[in-house]
Amino acid sequence: MQAISRFVHGVEAAVRLFGWIAAASCVALVFLVAGDVVVRYVFRAGAVWLQELHWHLISPIALFGMSYALYCGEQVRVDVFYERFPPWLCRIIEVAGGLLLLVIGLYATKLSLPWVEMAWVRGEASPNPGGLPWRWALKALIPLGFVLLALQGLAHALRHGLNLPRPDIR
Amino acid sequence: MSPNEMLAIGMIAVLFTLLLIGLPVAVAIAASAFVFGYAGFGPALFNLLPSRIYGVVTNYTFLAIPLFVFMGVMLEKSRLAEELIDVVGHLFGRIAGGMGVAIILVGVLLGAATGIVGATIVTLGLLTLPPLLRRGYPKFLATGMICASGTLGQIIPPSLVLILLAEILGESVGTMFAAAMVPGLALAGVYILAILAVAAWRPALMPPIPAEERAALPTRVLLRKVVVVLGPPVGLVFAVLGSIIGGIAAPTEAASMGALGALVFVALSGRLTRDLLWQVARSTLLISAMVFFILIMAQVFGLAFRGLGGEHLVERMFEWVPGGVNGALLFMMLLVFVLGFFLEWIEITYIALPLFLPFFANAGVDLVWLGVLICVNLQTSFLTPPFGWSLFFLKGVAPKEVTTLDIYKGAIPFIGLQFVALALVFLFPGLATWLPEAIGW
Amino acid sequence: QDSFAWRMTNSYGPGSPFYVEGPGSPTDIIAKIDAMSGGRLSIQHFAAGELIPAFEGFDAVQQGVIEMNASNSYFWSGTTFAAQYFTTVPFGMSFQGHMAWLYHGGGWDLWQEVYEPFGLVAFPMNNTGVQMTGWFREPIEDLSQFQGLRMRIPGLAGQVYATLGVDVRLLPGGEIFPALERGVIDAAEFVGPYQDRRLGLQNAASFYHTTGWHEPSTTGELLISRAAWDGLPADLQAIVRTACMAACLESMTWSEAVNGEALVDLVENQGVTAAVLPDAVVDTLREATLDTLETAANADPMVRKVHDSYMAFKAQHDRWAGISEAPWIKNVLQL
Ligand code: NA
Ligand code: NA
Repeated sequence: MQAISRFVHGVEAAVRLFGWIAAASCVALVFLVAGDVVVRYVFRAGAVWLQELHWHLISPIALFGMSYALYCGEQVRVDVFYERFPPWLCRIIEVAGGLLLLVIGLYATKLSLPWVEMAWVRGEASPNPGGLPWRWALKALIPLGFVLLALQGLAHALRHGLNLPRPDIR
Repeated sequence: MSPNEMLAIGMIAVLFTLLLIGLPVAVAIAASAFVFGYAGFGPALFNLLPSRIYGVVTNYTFLAIPLFVFMGVMLEKSRLAEELIDVVGHLFGRIAGGMGVAIILVGVLLGAATGIVGATIVTLGLLTLPPLLRRGYPKFLATGMICASGTLGQIIPPSLVLILLAEILGESVGTMFAAAMVPGLALAGVYILAILAVAAWRPALMPPIPAEERAALPTRVLLRKVVVVLGPPVGLVFAVLGSIIGGIAAPTEAASMGALGALVFVALSGRLTRDLLWQVARSTLLISAMVFFILIMAQVFGLAFRGLGGEHLVERMFEWVPGGVNGALLFMMLLVFVLGFFLEWIEITYIALPLFLPFFANAGVDLVWLGVLICVNLQTSFLTPPFGWSLFFLKGVAPKEVTTLDIYKGAIPFIGLQFVALALVFLFPGLATWLPEAIGW
Repeated sequence: QDSFAWRMTNSYGPGSPFYVEGPGSPTDIIAKIDAMSGGRLSIQHFAAGELIPAFEGFDAVQQGVIEMNASNSYFWSGTTFAAQYFTTVPFGMSFQGHMAWLYHGGGWDLWQEVYEPFGLVAFPMNNTGVQMTGWFREPIEDLSQFQGLRMRIPGLAGQVYATLGVDVRLLPGGEIFPALERGVIDAAEFVGPYQDRRLGLQNAASFYHTTGWHEPSTTGELLISRAAWDGLPADLQAIVRTACMAACLESMTWSEAVNGEALVDLVENQGVTAAVLPDAVVDTLREATLDTLETAANADPMVRKVHDSYMAFKAQHDRWAGISEAPWIKNVLQL
């Protein structure tokens, strides 16, 4: 029990860390895109790699955001019947959802690793001259995001299945 | 029917079931698609999934999602726009439904600033839903108005839907933008007329600000409030729109002008703290992640639907349709509507349109008009339960006491109004074809 | 006899003429293959976005999940820069020379050599002919105007422009029109008169700088998984090869026909001013291009090999073109 609780806390700490990175990416995105617009208009200048960085930042927001949203309990669901279900049934659904995410996350990781490896082996870079190198690193965010999702899915299932106290979410 | 096509139908049935028992939307989509896809074609095609997901998480136009959400959250958390709806209510005086009309008008403005439905719904929901509920609007009505209004952004240019339609129809983006302008405004007009009519018939549904409260607010104070409260949101919408029209920013980038503008407003009001910025960043992340979570998992479903030959099912149905352009048109409209129950709009466009296009092109149908009809119709797919993007997105930012059922109930009357607008465009093609010809686009 | 059911993805969106539909297009190649093989090789086509996003075809075919992808090899220059040369080379050869190099000057063999490590084979499958420099809000009269000029221009040409002070912008297809129309960007490159008119670019900018130094003859690529290709019997292989060759001619002649019509329409009816760039500007662009290519060739032996082959062939072909095509156009046609 102690070990499980420690595992859950460990996973959640990791998810919080990546959530922080993703949240910081949101702020960075605002400044980068707005800055690019202003600099282009006023100074008629810009850089290709900077423009690429804009859409590169969607990746951490979307991919790390998945597990962070799950951790914060922010999930969209159709609650037409769910809200009338007895607590035990809701708990079963939560556990099932968490376990499904564990499987989905692991499967998606397994699917994406060879694809990232391909980009790594051939040293793929942006096809735009002056663009960002290391496209494999950008692509690697996909398996990373899904590993986090799988772990948080498991933590979610354990937390609801064993009725661990709710995390303190800031 | 081939075994795979039966699996496709089974996949849709299971998706509905999983959604209804309350599994999170993203989980329900991915689980049903993985299981039925795997049963039908094994693992091979799923190897394409990373590519599809990569396409979503590096899609330039999706930049608008976090940027717009940032703007909305910043306004909400800073409480600069808290009294927005109240002030509008005061401006409308004793007229019932005034706040509802205001929601539609804000939706038109936001829609003219962006083409991403999720972004407008979230912004509108954050800013207007709580005050609307406080003012005694029933939950279903408030949510229905917000969903319908926020979805206007996909027909009022600029819009992702129009860009994709232009690409497939082989029309210029400018032509499609111009063609959708009048029908988009007409749709907003239909909404406004309906709201005013219902409000006149049942004032209790959309109460005006009580007379004594209005009396307690002197005109001078109200005017000051108009400037203080309406200023920031209206200013931001004009910052976004203005930067597009003024040639400062391309449509997607323009969202950043709104986000930066919100930051500047809050800083000027002296409320910008590190804690507030963190709160805004975190909420922006959570709301954007909710949108992306569903978008990412919808890739699994789209892949499985294709892999199982779902598009052949649709193709076969088309063969049964009795002849004539109007028969085919009616069938396509019905199909787009039905696909909206379980597919997102991009898949619908890719499946339905290429299938019918050669037929309509040969029959000499005006493709611009056809595109606008599809665009108005696609709007319903954002609103149809259970798989309506707008409905999910609003649910994601709605207060806890608002249930999905409230939102579903609210969407239905507006789907009815969609049909009115669709009929108008069908009967009067000039609504779509006049403006592009007039301005030479 | 064995029969095969393959899939083909495409880097271009549904409905695009030339790139997806029409004479010599990938769906036309599919129809040709189907007819010639009596249905033994049937191929299902997926436009960009239907199965995978536009530029994911290389990965999908390399993985062997998809057998074929229709695209342009220069989209893979981030993976292997040498791929740039098979599509087109700025200040390179026209349709005649480029195709001559591919078919008879060792170009195609080099193409296979470049793709060998990825387990891929490729065939030229279409050609747009010469593309246009692009649409400008103000005509370019001298070099100084490039300083701070905001231009939507992808690829190698963008890199060359950047060395001359152009602010290179990457915009998705759908945003080119609104951005150019409102003046967010000052210029945009797309394809040629027919495709550009389809996008409505003449309503966004009225100066059309013609004859594209950057893409003298853009060749399409049919990418095929090596394993799938080796599994095809010899007759079906011959059918695929022949269908691609036929499509090259058909697409090229179709482009010549529709571009002529579109250009006249743009200039006569739509108020477009069409003009080539001033000689001095072209000369500077040529120097910058050769510098850029030379730098790339020095960085990678494979690029050097392809570069030298291309340039050697070009030197010879230029002399031939100089005494055949050039005087024909100048003195006989008197253009
Ligand atoms: Na819009
Ligand atoms: Na729907």
